[in-house]
Amino acid sequence: MRLVWLNLRRSPARTALTVFGTAVALALFCLLEALLAAFNLGVDMASASRLVVTHQEGLTFTLPQAYAHRIRQVDGLRELAEGTWFGGLYEAPLPGGQKRVDFFANFAVDVESYLKLYTEMIVPPDQYSALMKDRAGCLIGDKLAARLGKGVGDRISLRPLIWPKKDGKPWDFTIRAIYTCRIETFDRTMMIFHHLYLEEGRTFGKGETGFYILGLRDAEQFASVSAAVDRLFANSPDPTRTMNEKAFNLQFISMMGNLKLLFRFIGTVVIFTMLLIAANTMMMSARERTREMGILKAVGFTDAHVFFLLIGEAVAIALLGALAGVGSAWLLANVLGANPMPEFFPVFFLPGTSVLAAFGLAALTGVLSGIVPALAGLRLKAVEALRSV
Amino acid sequence: MDPIVDLDDVTKIYRKGDSEILTLDHVTLRIERGEFVALMGPSGSGKTTLLNLLGGLDTPTSGRVSVCGQDLSVLSARELARWRADHVGFVFQSFNLLPVLTARQNVELPLTLQALLPGERRAHAEAALRVVGLEERMDHRPSELSGGQEQRVAIARALASDPQLLLADEPTGDLDARSARDVMGLLKRLNEEFGKTIVIVTHDPHAAEFARRELHLDKGVLHLERTR
Repeated sequence: MRLVWLNLRRSPARTALTVFGTAVALALFCLLEALLAAFNLGVDMASASRLVVTHQEGLTFTLPQAYAHRIRQVDGLRELAEGTWFGGLYEAPLPGGQKRVDFFANFAVDVESYLKLYTEMIVPPDQYSALMKDRAGCLIGDKLAARLGKGVGDRISLRPLIWPKKDGKPWDFTIRAIYTCRIETFDRTMMIFHHLYLEEGRTFGKGETGFYILGLRDAEQFASVSAAVDRLFANSPDPTRTMNEKAFNLQFISMMGNLKLLFRFIGTVVIFTMLLIAANTMMMSARERTREMGILKAVGFTDAHVFFLLIGEAVAIALLGALAGVGSAWLLANVLGANPMPEFFPVFFLPGTSVLAAFGLAALTGVLSGIVPALAGLRLKAVEALRSV
Repeated sequence: MDPIVDLDDVTKIYRKGDSEILTLDHVTLRIERGEFVALMGPSGSGKTTLLNLLGGLDTPTSGRVSVCGQDLSVLSARELARWRADHVGFVFQSFNLLPVLTARQNVELPLTLQALLPGERRAHAEAALRVVGLEERMDHRPSELSGGQEQRVAIARALASDPQLLLADEPTGDLDARSARDVMGLLKRLNEEFGKTIVIVTHDPHAAEFARRELHLDKGVLHLERTR
């Protein structure tokens, strides 16, 4: 090990540059992984005991609110909440006539039932009471509150992109409650408000809802309950499609399929480039030391010793790069919270599995970059090596 | 008395493409324990090849090479490496020290293959450096030493594992006259005081004078022998 370390210090600039190159590549890989994790967040935080009922034709079609009563008759249900994607754009005036515009997930829901379904969300009891008393009140996540610089009692306005108001003005809300979460990865940048408020103010779509969320008594029953719900409306003008929450969230992600593929492609190119850099360094380094390998063999080192010495150097360079690169990415994402697009990624963090994957990739890259010179070292005859200049 | 080196009708042929180069031609040689032998001859006469065969770095095309009582032809590459670590010390013309290691670390290098604790390795290395008179330069890197000092470190490295046989290929080839004399004097002392069997390859008649027996090779044939 000492010989590996000393050989790395033989040409400090070359080693440092290779480590730096590897570190940059792995940092980029990790940040892409963090983005992919952010994409998948909705899937990861989905509960197996929640079902979502949408129109069979997709999310852009609505369902009659009258369905709620019939769905409640299905055996195995614990709770039902209606919900509609509101899709409003946050606008706030800034000094100088400018406007601050922000976007975050906002839904109109049956708040009482919704919060019974989403027990991950923690709402202080007094704030909950205030929220239930105010039809124009809303509940937002603590991260969103921090992002907007708002607190309980503050007012916010959303410009409707889907649901215009009768008076043509933006929708006004009062923040009555701020939620936190039991789970670190749960979205803390959402806003929910009373479906009744939407119902009263919107110009069309009255008596309709975007989807229903169902809470099951037993997660094992999801197949039978889904089938029973869909059977109820199979021959109606608005047939339903019931799926578990994970599948529902995957629908959103599938819309970004190409983007994910692009990320994966970039990640692969980055890793391949890193491999070429490291392999080039190792080959140069090994070629310069042909004679030294001969010396090692002459004094009694075996072919395997020389092989593992060279592989060890390559792996050490890659792992040093991983320490620097993965460490930097972890610091950026998990400690400093450097979220590149908070509007799109409510939670941005580098998962532990990605850290392990990055170190695994680094070790693999080390082995692959060192394998050619190491095999050459293995096959090298001491006599020939000692003759080299 | 058992010879430490016993070569029996050894031939070595190198093949380069379609042509064959006869480097050693039916050489038979015995060297007794405690001898100091100089191998001389013109370039290309097969001196280094013979030395490499004695050190187990190369294999003969035909014939038998037995060193320290071991027939080298029956050993695998791995066993041969182990055998070299235990029985032979090499000294090369251009010293061949590892530039990233200090003098002591270079001497410790073959000892890392022995079952020794770090402290024991260090003690052995320091003792070897004391024998060659370099105990005060043990923490210097090769680039901080003179040519003569580098060669003495290389001799200490060869001595570190206390081998029975020291093989030196042109040990004075890269040295000035004074350093060459010092190095040869050191080898002579190792032979006389420590009983090491030493075989050197040299062009230099002054260096050869330190040996008790001179062997001359020409075109792969061992044909002249002189004993002092």
